[in-house]
Amino acid sequence: MLEVSQLSKSFGNLKALQDVNFTVKPGEIMGLIGQNGAGKSTTFHSILQFLHYDGQITWQHRPITEAVFDTIGYLPEERSLMPKLTVAQQILYLARLKNQATKTIRAEIGPWLDRFEVKGQPNSKIKALSKGNQQKVQLICTLIHQPKLIILDEPFSGLDPVNVALLETAILNARDQGAAIIFSSHDMGNVSALCDHLVMLNRGEMVLHGELQAIREQFGKTVITVTTDWSVERLQTLPTVTEVHALTPGRYRLIIADPAAGPTIFQALSQGRYIEEFSQQPPSLDQIFKLKAGANHA
Amino acid sequence: MHKLKIVAADTYFRQIKSWSFVILVLAPFLFAALSLGLGYVSATSAVKHDKVAVVSQNQGLRQAILKQFDQAERQKQVTTVAQAKRAVKANRIKGYVVVTQRQQQLQAHYRGDQTLSTSQVAQVKQVLTQYQTRLNVQAAGLTAKQWQQLQQQPTLTQSVSQQTAQAKTGQKISFYVLVFMVYMIIITYSSITAQEIASEKGTKIMEVIFSSTTAAKYFCGKILGMLGVILTQIVIYLVGGGLCFLLAQRLDKLQPVFTQFKPLIHSVLHNLININLIFLLLGVVLYTILAAFSGALVAKAEDAPKAAYPATYLSMFAFFISFPFQDNAGALTAKILSYVPFFSSYFMPVRLIAHHATMMEAGLSLLILVATIFGLIWYISRIYQGLILQADEGSFWKRFKRGLAYH
Repeated sequence: MLEVSQLSKSFGNLKALQDVNFTVKPGEIMGLIGQNGAGKSTTFHSILQFLHYDGQITWQHRPITEAVFDTIGYLPEERSLMPKLTVAQQILYLARLKNQATKTIRAEIGPWLDRFEVKGQPNSKIKALSKGNQQKVQLICTLIHQPKLIILDEPFSGLDPVNVALLETAILNARDQGAAIIFSSHDMGNVSALCDHLVMLNRGEMVLHGELQAIREQFGKTVITVTTDWSVERLQTLPTVTEVHALTPGRYRLIIADPAAGPTIFQALSQGRYIEEFSQQPPSLDQIFKLKAGANHA
Repeated sequence: MHKLKIVAADTYFRQIKSWSFVILVLAPFLFAALSLGLGYVSATSAVKHDKVAVVSQNQGLRQAILKQFDQAERQKQVTTVAQAKRAVKANRIKGYVVVTQRQQQLQAHYRGDQTLSTSQVAQVKQVLTQYQTRLNVQAAGLTAKQWQQLQQQPTLTQSVSQQTAQAKTGQKISFYVLVFMVYMIIITYSSITAQEIASEKGTKIMEVIFSSTTAAKYFCGKILGMLGVILTQIVIYLVGGGLCFLLAQRLDKLQPVFTQFKPLIHSVLHNLININLIFLLLGVVLYTILAAFSGALVAKAEDAPKAAYPATYLSMFAFFISFPFQDNAGALTAKILSYVPFFSSYFMPVRLIAHHATMMEAGLSLLILVATIFGLIWYISRIYQGLILQADEGSFWKRFKRGLAYH
């Protein structure tokens, strides 16, 4: 289990992290979200001991040392490999630094390349591969030694939908094999699809922490999606409605101040007749992210 | 230890397999072969156009001058000025000497498209002096006895110990060979190391590597790998040089040279293959560490070519200031600098070659050098992660400070 407690880090006068606490158990996926500069990469760098920090970070109740490095798989935010090496040389070099036997890894390179549908051979030069295929090779380097703790910094950035699906499958497989996974993302869709729980950072502070559904419930069922022939002006007159957003012609999202007003609004809109769509839900992760990030800007 | 070996082996094999290393190692051998070949070609092609003709009414004098020249240097067939002019124009001779006699004085004039060599001038003068003396004796009407009397010359003899003279020459040759070797190897490896490290600066692959092993192990592995490459080059030079030496000894044409200069060659080899080789090796290691450090200090990977400047400039400085001391190795400055790391690899060997330093002094200098190397490795290992992972723009000092404060 990864335990981060009272993690703080300053760069001069800048407080990059302040009292960050979370745990990730084996077989769990945690999402770390926040705007650029919120402290996500600093959190990862602290876990990887690149930085000196205040607080405690442990893996299986022990400090993270070089011995623990062998069980970590890390994918940095920007992709970078050694362009002059071949695919096999690159994977082998990094795997050997994780104390893996050359023979074992060499046998696994082919199946991993197939699994990720890499367009290239083990003896292809890295620089000869397309950007997308280089990203896949880097993912293979992160996962091939079957790490117990996987840290992925913006793993989905720059991937097309097909590759996003491949990566999601790989992450879920790793989780099923008992790995503790922590990843950052700007795409709340990926976070919603994969995470068991999440931490949201804002200017180095934890502003949200918990299971995905519980976080959403904290905000109450304040979002109504409705299909109606009412005009925007008329919708604004409904009880406790604070905002009206036109989604498509005839389809609207209403933000309400009081979730209890839901039945009244339903009555007013339906007038006892059939309506195609009326859904009252807590705000989506995306909306919560914008809400929290917006509060930061305010 | 295992990971250190992996990094060292990766660095070593990547360098050894590179074309630049192969060219670097083969260059001296190719250069030697090329200069020998060029020398042979120019020697054979020069024969045609290096001949001199002599034109004179006095056939005895003409023959006497021609006899002085080597077979390859004389053109006997040309006997008139007109023939000589044509021969120069046709590039068959480089020039001709016209000797005339005017009122008991011999006058010689050379015309050509290349000058006479110093030895040719001396040879012509020698014959002319003999003939002029004869003319003078005849004109003065001297008797045979008076003539003999006039021939008396003072004598000046020298007694020089062959061994001492050769030892001095040996020292001089050893000095040049050594400082050039140190300089060339340092310049080469400073540049290779600085570029190797700088190309990794700020790249995310370094984050992946530092999530697998410590920066200290990685840095030491890199230095060890480079050290392996340097050792390989030195071993190839020693073995290759040794083989060339043995081979050259078997060549008939070079046999007399080896016999004549045997003590000199042995003194040079003795001066090079001893403790001086350790100074060379450790000097290169120290400069390699400095180069790695400056490589880690560049603003970004694209600035890699600039990374070697600090190490190369310092080495150049030490190299040039060592020259004035080749004949003055006992000077106080040389003495001090022979203990100062970065300079000692030039100055202590210079002092040792000139027999101005004892083995005790050399040992002390080596100790300081080794301590500096370990001290630098220890210090840079500690700050290496910060230096490599931060990739900020800004001045050198700003980057340096940020690198130190990164953790």
